[in-house]
Amino acid sequence: MCGIAGRILSTPGTVGRDLVNLMDAQKHRGADSTGFAVYTAPRDTGYVLRGMGFDKNKLDHDLDDVQHLLKQNGGDLLGDPVILTDANKHYCFRLEISDPKDLTAWVRDADTLCDRIEIQSCGRSLEIIKDIGGAEEVANKHGVRDMIGSHGLGHARLATESSVLPNASHPFWARPFSDVAIVHNGQITDYFTQRDRLRRQGYQFLTENDSELIAVWVSDQMQAGLTMEQALKKSITSIDGVFTFMIATQDGIGFAKDRFAMKPLVVIDQAGDLAAATEEQAVRRVFAEESDVINHDGPSLFGIWGVGNRSLAA
Amino acid sequence: MTETIIDVGQRHIRDINQDMQAAAARGEAMRVINTLSRHNLGVGLPDAAHLSFEGSVGYYCGGLNTGARIEIERNCGWALGEGMAKGHITVGGYAGMSCGAAMIGGTIHVKGNAGPRCGVAMKGGNIVVEGKIGYQSGFMAHAGKIIALGGAGASCADALWQGEVWVAGDVESLGVDVDVIEPTAEEVAEVDAILDPLGLVDSSRNWRKMVSGQRLWFFESRDANAWLMI
Repeated sequence: MCGIAGRILSTPGTVGRDLVNLMDAQKHRGADSTGFAVYTAPRDTGYVLRGMGFDKNKLDHDLDDVQHLLKQNGGDLLGDPVILTDANKHYCFRLEISDPKDLTAWVRDADTLCDRIEIQSCGRSLEIIKDIGGAEEVANKHGVRDMIGSHGLGHARLATESSVLPNASHPFWARPFSDVAIVHNGQITDYFTQRDRLRRQGYQFLTENDSELIAVWVSDQMQAGLTMEQALKKSITSIDGVFTFMIATQDGIGFAKDRFAMKPLVVIDQAGDLAAATEEQAVRRVFAEESDVINHDGPSLFGIWGVGNRSLAA
Repeated sequence: MTETIIDVGQRHIRDINQDMQAAAARGEAMRVINTLSRHNLGVGLPDAAHLSFEGSVGYYCGGLNTGARIEIERNCGWALGEGMAKGHITVGGYAGMSCGAAMIGGTIHVKGNAGPRCGVAMKGGNIVVEGKIGYQSGFMAHAGKIIALGGAGASCADALWQGEVWVAGDVESLGVDVDVIEPTAEEVAEVDAILDPLGLVDSSRNWRKMVSGQRLWFFESRDANAWLMI
């Protein structure tokens, strides 16, 4: 019983604040961890990396290794890393980097360090912030409320399929596809088989979380030539389990629901100013006035909401 | 009757429901404002309580109702009136998933559509939906009637026990182990008696009455043919 949320602003603004409100209203759905995927103003070159190291005592050594691998791949750090530490053993970081020669190759190299340090998002625009604790706690620690952007996702996790670890939190980045993130409410029952097939294609998975699969699965389908809408439709019959997930790119947010109508999704869309969440009381934190609510309660639903566009939801 | 205003906002739900119980004990009607689609409002209210919610409410509104009359101006979330024993709940708009789940008595009247699994596992009472009932409505209903005036979604009346699903309008598909039967005049009169106080009787309706085929009741797992039914 996780809680998920999506937010699209008609013009870029305080998307971080809205996502925190959406998730604070759903904190009862998952107290293990909270995460946010925020799409900030896109840059023409370079990427923002967000990630986590598992032992703050090795922080300097870890980041030196990341920089070393980055230089080997033709990129470099732009400015000093932003590091967040607290009483926990793990630490979080934000890096701005110049373009590596081949992003996929560099991500593969960086993932050789994944027993010590994990890149959790890479994007021209996307920044994923996730940590253990509730929405308030995570937001206060990482300054999420101050983040300005066009759209984003939120997640409150009640761990079912994998451990309560900060890196098993949502959102998940569709590594190595830049700027793709996912949040999921449900359980994928064939994820081991599906993940195995994708691993044999060369994809890396860094957690045992079933939801990490969906991000890569949808991106892989799009890489193979499907539109996002086609990939979302295909996911309903190709991925086994009960789910409602939202996937975001720089262009907008898509969603898909399973064949059994087990997980809710509620949307308020006011001419492209949109909030979606597991529970209506969450979207009412953004749109306090009574307004038309779309209940995507039925089975086998999918759709896409474009940034700056009206809803295209099926 | 005196009317008490109850302001929901972001107050603790337990405090709000205690205010409702106290007002009901004083015999006061209640108008509930600023509902913000909050969950668990008006749960466990006693006989003779009378509430009207302005706006929309969240999950479990009117759950375990033992006789209260509840009106919801707009929409409600999942499991409206779950486990209610008596009383009457009216929803002005849409009722979310599992409306009337496991209710054992009373009436729920939805003026809009109802979501999936409307009347799931209900054990008595009546649900009247002026619009369409969603996917798998009536799933495993033990008793009572679900009456949909605007059609039904897929897998309608799946795995019924002794409940009945009445539909006027299109049915996307039937669930497992459902028989559609022609209702008798006496049975239609029974349904009209439920609709009459709501002002919804229309003699021109073509009813489909769905009941259990009773083939799943005696499911024999070692019978290969039985599995084909599912």
